[in-house]
Amino acid sequence: MLQCIFLLSDSGEVMLEKQLTGHRVDRSICAWFWDQSLSQGDSFKSLPVIASPTHYLFQIVRDGITFLACSQVEMPPLMAIEFLCRVADVLSDYLGGVNEDLIKDNFIIVYELLDEMIDNGFPLTTEPSILREMIAPPNLVSKMLSVVTGNASNVSDTLPSGAGSCVPWRPTDPKYSSNEVYVDLVEEMDAIVNRDGELVKCEIYGEVQMNSQLTGFPDLTLSFANPSILEDMRFHPCVRFRPWESHQVLSFVPPDGEFKLMSYRVKKLKNTPVYVKPQITSDSGTCRVSVLVGIRSDPGKAIESITLSFQLPHCVSSADLSSNHGTVTILSNKTCTWTIGRIPKDKTPCLSGTLALETGLERLHVFPTFKLGFKIMGIALSGLRIEKLDLQTLPPRLYKGFRAQTRAGEFDVRL
Amino acid sequence: MFNQFGSTSETLSKASAVVLRIGTDAHLYDDPEDVNIAPLLDSKFESEKCEALKRLLALIAQGFDVSNFFPQVVKNVASQSSEVKKLVYLYLLQYAEKRPNEALLSINYFQKDLGDPNPLVRAWALRTMAGIRLHVIAPLALAAVSKCARDPAVYVRKCAANALPKLHDLRLEEHAPAIEEIVGILLNDHSPGVVGAAAAAFTSICPNNFELIRKNYKKLCQILPDVEEWGQILLIGTLLRYVVARHGLVRESLMLSLHGMDSNGFCEKDALVRDLTLDKEDGGKSDSFDVNLVNVVSKCYIEGPDEYLSRSSCLDPVTSAFDSKETTSVAHNEDVKILLQCTSPLLWSNNSAVVLAAAGVQWIMAPLEDVKKIVKPLLFLLRSSSASKYVVLCNILVFAKAAPSLFAPHFENFFICSSDAYQVKAHKLEMLSLVATTSSISSILREFEDYIKDPDRRFAADTIAAIGLCARRLPTIPTTCLDGLLALVRQESFAGDPESVDGEEGVLVQAVMSIQTIIERDPDSHDKVIIQLFRSLDSIKVAAARATIIWMVGVYCSLGPIIPRMLTTLTKYLAWSFKSEASETKLQILNTTAKVLISAKVDDFQMLKRIMVYMLELGECDLSYDIRDRTRFLKKLLPCKLASHEATEDSVASQENIAVHVVEHVFGSKLKPFLPLGLNDRFYLPGSLSQIVLHAAPGYEPLPKPCSFVFEEHDQLSDSDRQRDAGAVLDRSQESSETGDEDGSSDYDSESSVGSEFSSDDNERKVSNDASDPAAPLIQISDTSVSADQEELRSRRALDLWLDDQPSTSNQTPSAVNSNQSSYAKISIGDIGSRVKPKCYSLLDPGNGSGLKVDYAFLSEVSIVSPLHVCVEVLFENSSGEPILDVNLEDEESMKCILQQCANTNST
Repeated sequence: MLQCIFLLSDSGEVMLEKQLTGHRVDRSICAWFWDQSLSQGDSFKSLPVIASPTHYLFQIVRDGITFLACSQVEMPPLMAIEFLCRVADVLSDYLGGVNEDLIKDNFIIVYELLDEMIDNGFPLTTEPSILREMIAPPNLVSKMLSVVTGNASNVSDTLPSGAGSCVPWRPTDPKYSSNEVYVDLVEEMDAIVNRDGELVKCEIYGEVQMNSQLTGFPDLTLSFANPSILEDMRFHPCVRFRPWESHQVLSFVPPDGEFKLMSYRVKKLKNTPVYVKPQITSDSGTCRVSVLVGIRSDPGKAIESITLSFQLPHCVSSADLSSNHGTVTILSNKTCTWTIGRIPKDKTPCLSGTLALETGLERLHVFPTFKLGFKIMGIALSGLRIEKLDLQTLPPRLYKGFRAQTRAGEFDVRL
Repeated sequence: MFNQFGSTSETLSKASAVVLRIGTDAHLYDDPEDVNIAPLLDSKFESEKCEALKRLLALIAQGFDVSNFFPQVVKNVASQSSEVKKLVYLYLLQYAEKRPNEALLSINYFQKDLGDPNPLVRAWALRTMAGIRLHVIAPLALAAVSKCARDPAVYVRKCAANALPKLHDLRLEEHAPAIEEIVGILLNDHSPGVVGAAAAAFTSICPNNFELIRKNYKKLCQILPDVEEWGQILLIGTLLRYVVARHGLVRESLMLSLHGMDSNGFCEKDALVRDLTLDKEDGGKSDSFDVNLVNVVSKCYIEGPDEYLSRSSCLDPVTSAFDSKETTSVAHNEDVKILLQCTSPLLWSNNSAVVLAAAGVQWIMAPLEDVKKIVKPLLFLLRSSSASKYVVLCNILVFAKAAPSLFAPHFENFFICSSDAYQVKAHKLEMLSLVATTSSISSILREFEDYIKDPDRRFAADTIAAIGLCARRLPTIPTTCLDGLLALVRQESFAGDPESVDGEEGVLVQAVMSIQTIIERDPDSHDKVIIQLFRSLDSIKVAAARATIIWMVGVYCSLGPIIPRMLTTLTKYLAWSFKSEASETKLQILNTTAKVLISAKVDDFQMLKRIMVYMLELGECDLSYDIRDRTRFLKKLLPCKLASHEATEDSVASQENIAVHVVEHVFGSKLKPFLPLGLNDRFYLPGSLSQIVLHAAPGYEPLPKPCSFVFEEHDQLSDSDRQRDAGAVLDRSQESSETGDEDGSSDYDSESSVGSEFSSDDNERKVSNDASDPAAPLIQISDTSVSADQEELRSRRALDLWLDDQPSTSNQTPSAVNSNQSSYAKISIGDIGSRVKPKCYSLLDPGNGSGLKVDYAFLSEVSIVSPLHVCVEVLFENSSGEPILDVNLEDEESMKCILQQCANTNST
């Protein structure tokens, strides 16, 4: 089981240590870790499981903060990683993000949360709704209160009722004057366009996100019009497996507030809404670049915030790029971002310019990969449709809302 | 003016920063010691104590030792404020082991808190007390845990389960049986949350005590979907180990299915890794699986790779075949069937660790045709966070090595995104080269072409290595691959100075090496490629690549019609360039020239000999001692061939004969296929840490030996057995009167125990499996499911009872602990109300109640209000001399009337 958790800032400083068992872990392990990651670079930083001379280390990096957990014995590594991810999620939910300042400013809350989330190296309470009842998140009111009165405890005196129930994700008896439930289909399009301009892979990763504000103990059923298109899925623990197995219906008692009900994947899509046509020619030390972006198949809704970013190859010494629409920025680490926004009706956005290669190089032999970003509100590109959402007992004044949106996920266009 | 403005904005931003940080603990973290902490700790205001503790925690967070405040902090453990309490506990756990004497001061407060009506307080006290890790208090802590293991609040029981490994960690032998018993009780809990934590305790305390699992096996399987995700991970592993230990592996499973039919494949040790195409020739079902590898995998799972691999080298592997008695079959074994059924929906879990654990069970136990259902869920995990992606890929790689056909149709999932981390990319490449088939290879190769142009040159080099692997596996593609690789070699060698670009050398070296691996398979048909490589030797500048090509000169020097004719020119060129080469190339040149010399034809011989002598001279004065060593070695070995030293030829003829043999062996022998059993062929259980780090982590245990856990079926459940069961029931009923077992059903059995004619003195007897007890004549036992609100009712009442019970808990016997195990069964009783006199329990004795004695008993009648309710008879007796007035029997929760009162006051 886990023995210790360290939180490291992006400069390698140990911001916090939480020993979990009697077998203490000296923080010199962090120094070892940081030395290694400096000397071995990125490939070490992206290695989630590390066998150090004394301990096994599990690391995840979230917004520059490294969450490092140590163990000396066999344990499922995914359990450690998933737990660290959960800690990071809860912290960013509590503090409104994770960064060095936020964690240092709220270190007491971080300690209290960690103490509640893990006991003797084994996760104890990780359900966000229960944690919220046990340890109050910092908010403006509590901050003000603590300034005025000098004392405001954020630790609850009583055990949340959900902690022992058989639906631990739901607090007992929340009360709302108006009952509302919203279902969002949030989809991400993953695609790979290869150097011949061919669509090698195109699939949708989607999540059904819900926000439920319902009184009492509601029992919901959500059904899709075309569940057969779903290739893979994963469910929130509240979803009952049987009804899904028998007739592909989601039956569940929802948590309170926002949560992710399920995630799914739809494969083998035929078309992308946006096309990118990059061209590059290189000769005698300079390259000419031109990239065209346009709408391939109109999804029926406006395609917004289109961006295209790519990493200039190392051998490029300087770049002069301009566009006829949108703005182009090149950062010092040679990341180039072209922000297009919406595609205008009258012209096709085009990025063009020249790259100067380092001396001695005649032509470019490595090519960048373009990452496309876009967002379409009001449509789920996978074609998944929600048929209906039923409540077993209808509360008074029920409002049901449905939304959908699609954005680009891992959308790679290779040159 | 501007200056002024600047300063204003600066102060403004400062001010805004201050405003933003108001109310947070920022100042405490930044300057924890800007005030004197000690007086604050002694302050009478909670807020000041709180601040002081926060400062201490800040110091702990920053790595300072603040254990000198221990005595003052311990005093505050008595505080009523929950926040102060929490902070004190955090501090205590950090330093208790260092300051054992002071820590003992806090024990009384924990004892007190353990009796608090607030479950949260009880849980905190328990967690801290168990976490203090002092041998002195271990007995107290154990008593506390065993009491909390029967706490009405789920949360407290969960904490009790978590506390068990803490006690176990102290390694006190005398407590071990008691701890394991509590594990058993908690495994039998009806709340999924507790069972999850108990499974964790089981794994770390007594992972091989399968008796505990056997008792609850079915129930554990049923409760598995409701257990919290973290508990699920460990419970799945525990159930799998139990089933293997009890019933052995499954005959139809992937692990064993190939075993019987393919023992001949198993004998051929040389072809330990046989690939897909070879298997096809064998025909039959085995075409999609790597037979030998599957065998290695399953052996590794059972015996652990270290043991297996060391043994397999000396033992005849056939003898290690599984005994057919040690296997079982899904169709006939109920336990296996249940395990597979209850784990398969978990493949949809949101937690990737659960999915992987469930997939591991299916992988090992599921019948061959069902194994494929793990594929899609596993592949879906590749869309999760990059950290878990890596771990999942490591596991998928093992699956794919043993059964490439499972993943072959899904090769597109392993196409590489630019945002993947380097390790993920490397693993995906390995997957692609593993699962490539003749139908998918063209698209995979086109992907590879793209990857070669990636700016990350290390990745490009890996891609080229993967091309080599693919070409070796699939016989149809080498020609296309070779053309591409040769073009690449040409392009790379002309791309200008390779050192100027990072990692470019690696690409070139890898390209040459891939060509070499492809050629190795079938050198005869590729002699043109070899010649092309030789020709490009001059333009290739990278030492490692040159060395590889020069090595090939030596190996293939007698291949085909053209190459032997090139040799003189080539060796001349090598001799000419020898001086300017890197030392690894020099070594290869020396070797190669020796090889060429040995296989040389007569007409070239004199020329080659002269070159050799020249090079040996050069080598003798080289700066590197490796090269000087090699030169001397060759000089000793080669005189027979060189024949330049005419002296003593006859006297040492026999010796030279040996030398000729040695030379022939060292330099003249044909290339043998070299397929080592690499580090990657060590297999550990899926989802384990050892599989990721590729060595057995401390605490790693392979699956138990099949059928190592033997349990005598109780098919002959005799009277004595039944008596034992009933005795246990009786035990419990007696205990429940003292401890107030929360489970309502226990109230029913109190009567049954009295009604049954069994003796009540067998307190020490162990509880045997009551679920398997056939229907007794009077008592019927069945599983009962407890609905949430019902449980709530019970727990509240039980809490009151339980709290009354404070003093008696410390002297509990193990049997008291035992007795709780059957609290799941609902026991219904036939019509015995007439012949049974209800047992009375004392609620208030005359000493405490100033003369009033109150007894109560549970009636056997079913309540007329609701079958969920219980009838209780309360008997009041006045044992004092004076009359007692105004006796009130009040129900505390008037809202939910749980007691139907049949008050019967006997006042004397």
